[in-house]
Order: sequence, then C-alpha cells, then structure tokens
Amino acid sequence: MKVVTMDTSKCVGCRNCELACAFANSKATCERTESKIKVNHYIEEEVLIPMTCLHCEDAWCMNVCPAAAISRNEETNAVEIDEEKCAGCKMCILACPYGNIHFDEEKLVSTKCNLCEGNPRCVGHCVAAALQFEEAEEFAERSRKKVDMRLAETMKNTCK
Amino acid sequence: MRVVIVGNSAAGLAAAKTFRKYDKNSELVIVSKEKGLPYSRVLLPYVLRGKLDYDKIFIRGEAYYTENNIKYVEDAVTSIDADKKELVLEENDRMSFDKLLIATGAYAVAPPIEGIKQEGVYHMWTRKDLDALGPLFDTKKSVVVLGSGFVALQAAWSARYRGLDVKVIEIADRVMPSVLDAAGGKLIAEKIKESGVELFTETVTQKIEKCDDGSFVIHLKDKEAIKADFMIVGTGVRSNIQFIEDTGITAERAILVDEYMQTNVDGIYSAGDVAAGPTTFGDKHLTHALWPTAVEMGEVAGANLAGKKIAYRGSLNMNVTQMYNVTVASMGLFNDDHIDEAYVFDMDRYDGYMKVCYKDGLVVGACLVGDSEAVKLFGKMRTIIRKGIKADCAPEKLESFLDIKIFRDRK
Amino acid sequence: MGERTVVKTTCRMCGTLCGIDAHIEDNKVVHIEGNKDSVLNKGRICIKGSSAVTWLNHPDRLYKPLKKMENGEFVEIEMEQAMDEIAEKLTGIQKQYGDNAIGVWKGEGIDFAQQEELARRWIHSVGSPNYFSNDTQCFASRYLSFNLVYGCWPQADYDNSKMIINWGTNAPISHSYWMQQINNGRETGATLVVIDTRYTDIARQADIFIKIKPGTDAALAWGIIREMIKRDELDHEFIDNFTVGFDELKAYAEQYTFEKVKEITGVDSKYITQMVDAIAKARPQVSSWAGTGLEHQSNGVNSIRSVTMIDALAGAIDRKGGMKTPAGFGMRGLTIYDEKPLLELEPIGAKKYPVLYERRQECHTLMLMDQVLSSDPYPFKGLVMTAANPVLTNANTGKVEAALEALDLLVVKDLFLTETAKMADYVLPAASYLEREEVYCNSGKQAAFITGKYVDNGLQTEYEMFKGLAERMGAGDYFPWADDHELTEWLLEPTGYTVADLKTNPSGFIFGEYEYEKHRRKVANGEKAFNTPTGKVELFSEYLVEKGIEGLNGVPEYHDPAYVQQNDPAYPYLMITGARVQKFFHGRYRNIEQLRKANPDGCLEIHPEDAKELGIVDGEKIKITSRVGSIETFAKVVHEKEIIRGAVQHTHGYVNQNINYLTYDDVTDPVSGFPALKSIQIKIEKL
Repeated sequence: MKVVTMDTSKCVGCRNCELACAFANSKATCERTESKIKVNHYIEEEVLIPMTCLHCEDAWCMNVCPAAAISRNEETNAVEIDEEKCAGCKMCILACPYGNIHFDEEKLVSTKCNLCEGNPRCVGHCVAAALQFEEAEEFAERSRKKVDMRLAETMKNTCK
Repeated sequence: MRVVIVGNSAAGLAAAKTFRKYDKNSELVIVSKEKGLPYSRVLLPYVLRGKLDYDKIFIRGEAYYTENNIKYVEDAVTSIDADKKELVLEENDRMSFDKLLIATGAYAVAPPIEGIKQEGVYHMWTRKDLDALGPLFDTKKSVVVLGSGFVALQAAWSARYRGLDVKVIEIADRVMPSVLDAAGGKLIAEKIKESGVELFTETVTQKIEKCDDGSFVIHLKDKEAIKADFMIVGTGVRSNIQFIEDTGITAERAILVDEYMQTNVDGIYSAGDVAAGPTTFGDKHLTHALWPTAVEMGEVAGANLAGKKIAYRGSLNMNVTQMYNVTVASMGLFNDDHIDEAYVFDMDRYDGYMKVCYKDGLVVGACLVGDSEAVKLFGKMRTIIRKGIKADCAPEKLESFLDIKIFRDRK
Repeated sequence: MGERTVVKTTCRMCGTLCGIDAHIEDNKVVHIEGNKDSVLNKGRICIKGSSAVTWLNHPDRLYKPLKKMENGEFVEIEMEQAMDEIAEKLTGIQKQYGDNAIGVWKGEGIDFAQQEELARRWIHSVGSPNYFSNDTQCFASRYLSFNLVYGCWPQADYDNSKMIINWGTNAPISHSYWMQQINNGRETGATLVVIDTRYTDIARQADIFIKIKPGTDAALAWGIIREMIKRDELDHEFIDNFTVGFDELKAYAEQYTFEKVKEITGVDSKYITQMVDAIAKARPQVSSWAGTGLEHQSNGVNSIRSVTMIDALAGAIDRKGGMKTPAGFGMRGLTIYDEKPLLELEPIGAKKYPVLYERRQECHTLMLMDQVLSSDPYPFKGLVMTAANPVLTNANTGKVEAALEALDLLVVKDLFLTETAKMADYVLPAASYLEREEVYCNSGKQAAFITGKYVDNGLQTEYEMFKGLAERMGAGDYFPWADDHELTEWLLEPTGYTVADLKTNPSGFIFGEYEYEKHRRKVANGEKAFNTPTGKVELFSEYLVEKGIEGLNGVPEYHDPAYVQQNDPAYPYLMITGARVQKFFHGRYRNIEQLRKANPDGCLEIHPEDAKELGIVDGEKIKITSRVGSIETFAKVVHEKEIIRGAVQHTHGYVNQNINYLTYDDVTDPVSGFPALKSIQIKIEKL
C-alpha cells in the first residue's frame, strides 16, 4: 500500500505542502499550526526535512493508545485517530518516534495525517517533487537507482 | 494448544493481539475477574472531567472476542496448579492450560489511616470507582484528595475543572516524586495552587471522621482539620498477586519475569502491572505500573506465547498528562541523584520547564512542565535512550539533531 | 445536486500555466488539483492553483458593470449601457484631444498571448498606438536581453542540463514546475548554482550559492567570462561559426579580474573558480536563467545579456541540456502593426525606449503617468484597463493614484473591485480563465493547450469587450468573429489543427518534436542561423550601437546600479522589493481568506546585525521612507545567512503595507525602461 515518501535532496522548503494540508484539515485556514506535515528547515546544517506520518506497519501510537482511538483504515492503509474516542492524554505523542502526532489545543485531541482518503494533498502540491505517494518498495528502488547513477557518474569521471 | 490469559486490560489485550498475529488457530482464552467490557483506567479522569462520555472508556466491543476467536470467561482465579497446568477458578470448574499469562494488574492501596475504609472515600482506579464518583462530581461541592502522585493529581484536577472545592494532602515535601524532579515538582505545585486547589505538603492525616450528614472531617497532625463532602485516595498501587501463594511462582512485590516475560515456571508468563521485568537502564526486575509498559510487555508475552522467542529490550518509563493548564511529562531517569548532568531549556522555548538528563554522556531521560509541543521531543528521544545512542550535539541542538537523525534512520 | 465532471484545462492563477483537473458541479468549480497527465507539471500545483476554488467563487466577485456617480458611489448598470457610454466617451476624448489621447492597459492576469493580442489589436483598430501592459515591469527586459543576443525567447532545458545557473530568480515560487525539471536535472548529476542577494527557497538546494550585492551580477558574469577565456573553456566551433563579437567581448572582459569583481560584487574569487570548474565539466549542457532580481535594476538588460554570453561561450545555445530556442506553433497573430503602425501618433515611450518599442511595440506605463499629469507632449485622457492593478503593483503609487485620478475616463475590467478599480469611472466584470476558450502554447515542449468555457456565469470575456467597443467605435471590421470559439478556430487555422483536435489532448497536444541545433540545419538551407540582424549570436550588438543609447556600445557593459552611482547617505539601506511569496501573486489573492490568515501583512526582511544596530526586534512595527514616500510596516529579522548586511526586502501587493509608495519611477533601465524596483534606497526608523 502507498505511503508518502520524502526526498530531502529535492525539498526547497516552499511549504506548499503545509499550506495545502492545513486547509485540507481545517477547511478554513492555511496557517501552519493546522498542518500535519511539517517542513523543518535547519538553516545552519543546511538540511530541509518535510516530515509527515509514515503510517508505520507496526504503529506505536496505535498500539499504545489507552482509548483504542487509533486504528488502521483498511482502504487507504492510513493510521487514523478517532477524535470522538480520543481523550487527549497525549500518550501517542510520547510514543511516536518521529514527532508526527500533533495536538489540537482547541478540541483537546491528538491529530495526525490521514492520507487525505488516499489522495494526499501534500504530494499534489509539492512543486519540487520531493514528496511522492508510492509503495515503499518503489521509493527504495528509486533511491537505489539514484545511488547507482551517482556511482556511475563518479566512475565515468574518474575513469575518463 | 490452549493459551490462557488471566486479565483483560492493557497487558492481556496486547498479548492477545500479538498472539493472534502469529497464531490464528490455537485456542485462546481470556479470564477476567472484573465483569463487563474491558476499559482503560487512563480515561477515568477524562470522564470525570467531562471530556469523554462514559461509554468511551471501553476499549473493545463484544464482537472483538468472537472476531478474533478468543473465548472470554468472567471468573476469578483463586490458585494455580503449576504441575497439573490448571487454573483453580472461583465459580467454574478447573481450567487446564498449555501456556499461561498472568496479567492481573494492580489494585489501589490506602495507607493505614483510621476511617479510610468507608463509604464516601474512594480510589480512582476502577470502573466501580468511576460509577461511585460520577454522581458525586455532579452533585457535591468539595473533595479532599489524599496523595500527590499521577493519579491523585489527575483526580484533583478533574474535580477542580468541574468547579469543586479541592484540597490535596501529601505527606512528603514535594509532589509527583515519581514523575517529576524537584524543580518540576515545585512548578506544578505552583500551577496547582494557581488553579485554586489548596495544596498541603508535609501533612500527615490522622483520622477521617464522617459526620451525620455524610460529609467528612479530616484530622491532620499539627494542623487544623479540614472538611470535605467526599474523598479520593491515590496513594499507590500493589500488584494483584494474591492467588500466587503456594503456586511455586516466584514473586516479591510483583511476579518476577525475564526478558521473554517468562516466570520461573516454564510455560507461565506474566506482564503488566502485576509483573516486574527488565528496564532500559539494566534493572532486572522493576514494575512501572504504566499503561505503555503494560502494552509493550503484553506484546512481548504474546509473541513468546506463540513460540516466537522475542526478547523485550526493557521498559522505559514514560508519563504524560494534561492538567492544571499545563502538560506534565517525564521519561527515563530525571532525578538529580540518578543522573550526571542536566540541561534545562530556557523557559520561553517550551513555555515552562523542560529538562533533558545525561548519564555517562548519553541522554537518559527528561521531564517537562509546560507546552504540549515539547512532548514530541520526548517521543523522538525514546530511540536514543533505549538504544544508548550518543546525541552528538550541544543540548540546545538536540531537537534538530534528532530530526535529522531519525529522518536518516527511518525505514 | 448535479453530477460532477472533471475537465482538464490550464490554470491561470499566474503565468506558469500548469495543467489542472477542474471539478465542475452545477456550473461551479468545486475542486481543483493538478492534472497528472499534464506534460508540464505532471499532477503538481501550488497552493494558488487549488485555492482558486475559493477565489473564483468568492462572494465579492463582480457580475454586473458598475458606474461611478457624481457622489463617488458605484451603481450597477446593464452591460449594454456601460459599453455604449464607454465607447461614446472614448470617441469623445479622441475627437476633443486627438486619437492618441486614449489607450489600453493589459495586466498580468490575462497572460501574454491570445488575450494580450486582442488588446493590442483593439487599440490600433480605434486609431491609437498607446498599448500599455504590465510588461513595463515584467519579463520584457529579459525578453529584450535574450532577443538582442540570440533572437528568441528561450527555455532552459533543465531536464537535460549538467549545470543549472539561476541569477536572481526563485523557481519553486515563481515558476513552480520548473523546480521539478531542475530537480530532474540534478538527479542525473546537474550542478545547481544560485546567485542572489537572499538565501531563497531554491538557494537551499544549491550546490554553489553565491550571495551578491544587488544589481552587480553582470560584474560577476564578466568575471566568469574572463576566466572561461583564460582557461579556454570555450566552444570554439560554436563561437567561430555562430557568433559575432568575440574579440570585443574578450577585450572588454579583460578588466574583470578577481579583485575587481570582488570589489564590485562582494563575491570571493573562489566562486568564480568553482563556477568555471563546473562549466568545464558540464559544457555544453549549461542552462541559465535570470529573473526580476536582475531585471528590476537600472542596468538590467545588459546584465542579462552578459549572463547569456556564458551560455554562448559554452556552446549551450540551441543545444540539448542548454538553452532551447523554440519555434512557435504557427498560429495566426492578431496584431495589426503592419497595417496600422500609427507611429506618427507618438506611442508613449517609443522615442525614449526605441528598442522596447521596435521589438515589442510596448508603450511605457511610467511615462504614461507623467504624461497624464503634464499633457506633455500631448494630452492623454482615457484608459481602458483589464486584469491590472497598478495602484498596488506599479512603481510610485502616489503618482499612479494622482495620474489615474486625473484621467477623464478610466475603465477597469476585473473579477473584483480592486484598489485600482475603485478609482475607475466604469468597472466591467470579467470572465475568469475557466470561463473562456483560448490556446496556450509551450514551444519548448512543442505542446498546445486548449481551455474552454467550463463555467458560464454570463460574464463578458475580453474578446466580447474589445469587439463590443470596436463595433461602437467604427472598428467592428477588425473583430468579425462571433465569439471566442470562432476566433480561436481562425487563429488555429494555419496550423492545420482545430479546437476539436486540441481537445483530444488538453493535457498537452503535441504538435511536433523539439529540434535541437536548428541553427545548423538552417545555415545548411541558406537561412539565418539565429533571428538576429547578423543571423548569428550577437556577443556584440551593432543594432544597439546604432540606437545611440548612452553607455551601450555593443558588448553588454557592466554599469554600476544607480544606487551605487548616486548613493544617498540620507537613505542608508538598500531595499529590494517584490520577492515573491507562494500564496499570492502580485496584487492578487489576498482576498482568499485561508491564505490571508497565514500571511496577513507585509514585512521588511532585515539582517540580524542591522536589526540589532537599529534596536529593532522581530515583529516590531517600523517606519520606512524613501525619497518618494513612506509607510509603516513590520520588521522581520531573518537569519544572517538569508540576506546581506545593508540590504532589506519587502514584498509588494499588501494593501496595508503598499511598498510601492516608496519605489521610484525615475530610475530605469535605458533599453527596457524597467524601474529599479530591486534597489530602492531607504531609511528605517523605530516607531
């Protein structure tokens, strides 16, 4: 099943993904606080990371939730939070090793990416093509190919 | 093969889920002393506060058991015949097992104070407690809470949130000693007082006296007596090992298990609040009495019950809650006498107090009284604490270091 | 509740023209996302594209013409009445003051092709040569630069490049899908070089990021040219056979030593070395682009010319991985310059900017403002404006407001009652890009894109307005087609394709295969290799020399920008204006609620050291002043990496922080007439 993959070598930090996600979730604003995908720009380290939920196969948030409010959507494979059941205890936020669960201070519940019902808006708005919606295996293959190409290029230059 | 799990809460259900992941066919039975659908006691304060409806405390529906081919039996275990591999039950006939998991959890205890065991004085631990407290929260005006641990303070906050007059009595000189360090404890004490809760530290309760109208007068040592309509006692829990006597299973305050959740008796496992297992920091037997630990131990037990020899990497204590208008969280080692050095982030950064602790150059824990955003940092730290990975950066750069590292290491 | 149809069409929220899927339900657009089949953007759009749903359905949209009454209030009137009165007034002005006393102004909002040509056609058809547009400040400077050097409007072949150089341009924000192409090139090994005063979005991925003083880019380009010559990283075959002026170029380059370049630009010599190292490995697959960062300077045209020379020397022009020189689709044009040139009527700006007028038949909006106020050399009294909002976007807002106020007749056609529309005598509601049929063409991809009237609000299209006015003014013969559709069919005719043909592939109708190295084939056929006076790539432009413009003697000399030449110590900070933000586009889209919430106010980007010196903290309200005007705005203290000391930046288009109150209109590029919007001298004060 497909997940959103992130390529930090392409991300320019334009934050179109955040704007789109914020609007998709809130239907009212594009403010960054409403976005479930967060682009972290570490200017001194020169690193840009568009970080969004990986919908882990073995989701720690889902396992730990004491309200059984987190479950897997069979259709989209997304790990989703049921806001009706969520008590706002924040154990999922403690559990997620990637910081991908956010807290809605108004509703006092945890919120997270739900893959927009299978058509993730962040991917559709990533103008640099840093985000893709693909099978994990496809991403692995492209990464392998990229490394191979770079290797080939280096060899070509050294063996000229 | 028949696998029996005694206990229908965090550890038991996690074990059942993991067992069924590996083994869809063997017979699986859950025996529960407490009647009714399984619920999460973590949610009790949220119901009392009014955040959740009562029906939301249940974490499995009836269909769960049939859908997952689990036989559910409501009964109490009075003893275990380890040789014959049989459970002695209160109501039903003996039940035989091939493998057994004891996940009976813990019960709330009360200090030996005169008058503490009477109607009007409750714990906030079980559904029965919730059923008693609910109407009181609706109708009564004042409550006294004994204890200042996690549960006690949550109960006090729920009551205060509902507008009751609340007083908290604590015997020690600080609050939440197992959750926060001294500085954090001081900060949350301030928040508690700011919210209108009267906090009595270094206070000994001598007697709880019930008046004719059903309300209470609580006599304190060397201090003026205080009044309340009802009381909540949150002074700790003890493992449910009453039925272990004479079974040959080794237990101290809790049942001792190894990294496979295996007790000293072959084929008998234990997990959750009733057990004491290995921790991240090398303790061999420690009980955390925390929901996430119970879940993890249950998962390990379930895998091993199914024949997968999976070792537990050790429990890492972690706690989080929202109360008195702040987020309180802690993880790992954070008390000054357990660590080498600590780094306190500046107050503005996380809108409160956030301390990351180091020992032998490694991050070993943190505690927080402040912003909910900071909790994400805790989640990110778990991996490096558990795996003993050195955070090669200045403490103030920890967040960016973790973000970059976990991104690179993600699967 | 009707059924939903999904149409594939082209977004026109900006000029990038991405392919979109527009979901239409009950004659309303309800959802927009990228068209995955688009040959251009492959399914990805920016936030403006999808937010168009809010914009196009906005409750403030105009549906009826408005007429301003004596008391200054607007009343709704019927279209017939509006058109009759406007035509009558225009004709009246011409009778009273002369045919050239009226003009048309086409804004960014209706693009640079079919709709633009309608405006050009109309104004000439009714007897005036005064066509104005947003191109006084947009793209035309670049156009002239490329045109003067190699005779076309090129496209960088990013996908196939091995070295990509971007000067003062920020692709992901200004040309969204170009970033995909740049990333494709990078994936196969292209080095990305970004040269800018600010650490922009694209700079974050640059292999080489060169921070440079505003307006001094050409000196760096010359430093690179000198080094290329010194190291003989030159495509001699291309230079010898397809260029003129190499000797002059070489002679001029000589003075741009490392020291001189560093003194002028602040750029260390190691960057020149690194760049030429990269050029050595990558050539001829070197592609360059220059944006408004270079255009909006008093030396813009020459700066961009010098940038193209690097490509020429590397042999990258009309080469794979270099600069594509597309040929067109072969559609008919709508302009009638041959038939009715009207040069004797003194198109405004033609004398001062002869190259601009000759090459683009473009009049000058900044000079228009002066002429409206002075009536020198002749009175100008009536203006029909469409899709433009110069009160927010033109230099020197104060003067714009005064000039528009002074007109006898101002007609503004727009979707909304913009700041400029509020000043009009008549406001005509406009049909949006989902409400009309037209053809866009991307010659680099050899693809044509047909749009359609997918939503029908009964709104008047551009064609309908120009046809209606022409008919009433005795020029109806020039607009014989019944509607946009008939017009489009007529325009397509010479290509051999019809609208129906193009509709078979609205994601990009491929009409040919892009041909690299056309110049060889052309020369073999006895044709000019390139569309320049000499037929070759003009490193030296005789044509420019003949124009006798001061300081322009053939090669693209570097001239210090005006702020260096005439530094005013009373205004010690150098303000760049107009850096783009993703959510808005020039004056548009701040009425999209969800976007405005995320960015309600403009701000001045300041280096942390400068802020410290001024005693200013992030978010503080400040006052900024130029010799032309002053506003209050908010300070944004950026990271020291993000801008050079002494330079500040403020984006345009915010009504409450309209930076164009500070920009001056009297410092311009001598060839294109572009105002130096990227180097305004200001002072900053605490409030």
